[in-house]
Amino acid sequence: MSDKVPASESPQSSPAQRATACLASSETPEEDSSRAHSRRYGTGDSHSYLHRQVHFGDISTESTDADGHSTAEIAANAPRYRRKSSTFIDGIHDVTADNDMAPAQLYSTMSGRLFHSGRIAIVMVGLPARGKTHICVSMARYLQWLGVKTRIFHLGDYRRATVGEGEDVPEDYFFPNASPASVMLRQKILKKCREDIYAWLNHDNGQVAIYDAVNPTASGRLSLAKEFAKHDVQTLFLESYVDDENLLRENARNVKINSPDFEGMDPDEAAKLYLRRIEMKIPIFETMTENELNYIKMINAGQKFFYNNVSFNYLSHRIVFYLTNTHIKSRTTFFVRAGVATEEESFKADAPLSEEGHNYARIMCETVLSHREQERESLKEQGGPDVPLRPLSVWTSTRMRTLQTAEPFTERGYKVRQRSQMAQINPGVCEKLSERAIRRLYPDEVEKHDLDPYHHRYPRAESYHDLAVRLEPIILELEREQNDLLIIAHESVLRVLYAYLMHCSTTAIPTLKFPRNEIIEIIPAAYQNEAKRILIPGLDPRIVPSSPEGIRISVPGESPALFPGGGLSSPPETLEGLTISPGSSAPSLVTSPPPQRIVSTSKEAVEDKLLDQD
Amino acid sequence: MAPRTNGIGVQVEDTKICVVMVGLPARGKSFIAQKAQRYLQWLSIDAQTFNVGNYRRTEAPHPSADFFDLGNAEGEKRRRAAAEAAMHDMLDWFRQGGVIGILDATNSTKERRKWVLDTCTKEGIEVLFVESKCDDETMIMANIRDVKLTSPDYTGQDPEQAAQDFRNRIKNYEKVYKSLDEDGDENDYTYLKIMDVGSQVIINRIRDYLQSRVVYYLMNLHIRPRSVWLSRHGESLYNLDGRIGGDADLSPRGHQYAQKLPELVRQSVGEDRPLTVWTSTLKRTISTARFLPENYNQLQWKALDELDAGVCDARRDKYNYRYRGGESYRDVVIRLEPIIMELERSEDIIIVTHQAILRCIYAYFMKKDQSHSPWMNVPLHTLIKLTPRAYGTDEERFSADIPAVSTWRGKGSTAKHENPTPGASI
Repeated sequence: MSDKVPASESPQSSPAQRATACLASSETPEEDSSRAHSRRYGTGDSHSYLHRQVHFGDISTESTDADGHSTAEIAANAPRYRRKSSTFIDGIHDVTADNDMAPAQLYSTMSGRLFHSGRIAIVMVGLPARGKTHICVSMARYLQWLGVKTRIFHLGDYRRATVGEGEDVPEDYFFPNASPASVMLRQKILKKCREDIYAWLNHDNGQVAIYDAVNPTASGRLSLAKEFAKHDVQTLFLESYVDDENLLRENARNVKINSPDFEGMDPDEAAKLYLRRIEMKIPIFETMTENELNYIKMINAGQKFFYNNVSFNYLSHRIVFYLTNTHIKSRTTFFVRAGVATEEESFKADAPLSEEGHNYARIMCETVLSHREQERESLKEQGGPDVPLRPLSVWTSTRMRTLQTAEPFTERGYKVRQRSQMAQINPGVCEKLSERAIRRLYPDEVEKHDLDPYHHRYPRAESYHDLAVRLEPIILELEREQNDLLIIAHESVLRVLYAYLMHCSTTAIPTLKFPRNEIIEIIPAAYQNEAKRILIPGLDPRIVPSSPEGIRISVPGESPALFPGGGLSSPPETLEGLTISPGSSAPSLVTSPPPQRIVSTSKEAVEDKLLDQD
Repeated sequence: MAPRTNGIGVQVEDTKICVVMVGLPARGKSFIAQKAQRYLQWLSIDAQTFNVGNYRRTEAPHPSADFFDLGNAEGEKRRRAAAEAAMHDMLDWFRQGGVIGILDATNSTKERRKWVLDTCTKEGIEVLFVESKCDDETMIMANIRDVKLTSPDYTGQDPEQAAQDFRNRIKNYEKVYKSLDEDGDENDYTYLKIMDVGSQVIINRIRDYLQSRVVYYLMNLHIRPRSVWLSRHGESLYNLDGRIGGDADLSPRGHQYAQKLPELVRQSVGEDRPLTVWTSTLKRTISTARFLPENYNQLQWKALDELDAGVCDARRDKYNYRYRGGESYRDVVIRLEPIIMELERSEDIIIVTHQAILRCIYAYFMKKDQSHSPWMNVPLHTLIKLTPRAYGTDEERFSADIPAVSTWRGKGSTAKHENPTPGASI
């Protein structure tokens, strides 16, 4: 190991360093987007990263700055490590704390790895604009949900960090007959990325590393598999193959949406130009036919799958299962609460809506529909295409109050589907009991609940974990749905579904709040999802607070005063900067306020994808 | 795009799927059909197999190969009639609330598949074709000898002659057989094509969650012959005083069983093939398996741990529904999903586990109604050998003749140690 390695680069960063890094990297909604951007890519203030520590003794050969390490090295070692600072930010790219449990883990193992599936590298194959990033991210989301430690390694991040932001790789970078300098650059970048993968699998208990790159040639893939095998890592190749011209053009349109290069161009022309550029840049691409490799070929975004199975294990099959339910198109998901019922306290009664409940249903429906219309208008004003709204589907549980809350939609001709799995968490013996009564009757249960509100079950009740496992079919149907989707459900169900889409930790899930006067909108993007809240005006304030049904034991220290703005709360220690001051939002409640965008980061990531030819 | 996924979507509660088997004889179709049915029932999904061969057999019990020649007008007519009768019964069954019907026949021509698709679509039933394609001659002959000669068509016939006749029968099918989407004109169908026992798979146009679930399961199946051995752990100290749960050690009699287990296994395996051993992570199962031969690969699964009895852990309590803070049998079925999938993918396995877990696994292989699971009697100190076959699972039991307490309790009874009543045992 080199003696030039600075102290801060030691393989184990101290807890103190960790904490500093965490604090520094917590993003706030107010943060100006360019800073957020550079921070994610590690070219700006690189010290704000939780540094990735990998040492293979070659750091000293690099040109170094005053502190003794090159910016490129640090950045290449630290892409996209950040810690979640808000439940409004999709946590899919965050570092998970060691004690974080997966929401729908079937059981845990000491190693953190899922039983005997070993360590796996999922190697992506496919040209740009084939939806690879989207597939990676959504696969990682699902695997982590199941409790499989998964991380994505985008080779593009390493290339950018090495050649510098805004700089392009040499013309012949992807050419088979590239110049020695280009070949060396390529190898240097590949080496960095792979070293990170091995370090993560070997030292951080990782189980699935998703390696996101083009991997265009058969020979390259064969040697990659061999190299991984040497490190005792199984490979599963996943090719996204598209020969449907429409699909290709649509993907290209989504990718290049914000690029200045294509400004003012006809969208179809721009898409064509973009695709032509890819072809020029990466002239050789061989689709997978290697019989000796494990591979899945996903054809035309999931219309067809071919897979070559040399030694598939449980996880590989599970991934195929997931992929058969996913698709690349983007659509919005809205979450709303059901209206208030006449017998709020009873789980068994399944009571109909009260008068306020019906009133809520009507106003909520109008707000959702006018919001969608406004969004379409503003898109048009910004020069977007004048396309009709995507159809809207409504899902409810089979409980009376959710069905009745959907009635205004049914009357307007929207398709409403009932899903029995979406019934609220079963409160067991806590039904109809006041918090005080529960504390008196089951003091030891309350104590246990406070220790682990996510996994604890009250007598005869379901835990959040039980609920998450039960919602698996809904999760997969959510991935499958192609219309915009409005989910009307009990708060407990919304918490779990929201946690899946925004990757919240099990500690945060039981405390997520969905006040009745807010519609939560989740906008998917390839890199990460965005959440937005839309206020419903003119509601009786008494029906707004969190659900009085079900289990209401509060966690010590939690008090409504902590979250004055309502909305999805974060764990208190990471709350700074998130809350929306009640003063500013309250007066506008009466009129129809503009929707509040909490964080908008995926656009920049998408824009960046243009340069991301790897 | 697929007609039913463009957003309007079907209500999942209404989804009905006809799984249509496709493939030449002796490709494991009946085996797959029967496994799928059992798995779905195990998950409490109403599923039923309709075997066209059975309908044809009532008309022509022991047909010769000529019967299956396309030139044989009489044979063709009767086979068509059998297919129609099976379809008729299946549609009736769907109307009474069936969810997944499995049509087990060769369905080897495009015309026949089109007919099945059109008939089902008219009734609002989705069609998922499942083809097993295999050109490995040894595999096919093994299948003929193992399965077909025990088929009802050949009862009481000379095996050699029967095998020859069966080869001829297959030849007649081969003349007209078209693999799914072979010509590219069945590209709109939803299908799963499994080639050479799963080494290559094509999945086309999955339309909803339930279809994906069926496909997921079928991908894990293989038709190589194998057996699964099941044993509870030896008697534990908790068993002795009627407590449940915990992580207790074996009793002296339990240790005796552990010592005897290798002999029992040798006796039932017959030859000297190594098994893979699965235990839970609890002491009593690991301890029970510790004398098994060293060349047996041993794996511990957290998923095989005993039903979590919650607050009743280590206590004496009623053996009823979900204990306070504990798991129900339904929870266990969910938790066992990876085990079942892995079990299907594997070959010879011996599982040493706990009563409740063993009941659920046993129910999966033996087509027991899940709601009866909690009351099945699985005695201690007994090795069970299960061998899946095309038309069901064979079971053999080997008792170690080492006394142990009975931990079996009848429905509605309390934790007193009772003797199982004859009718209530498995």
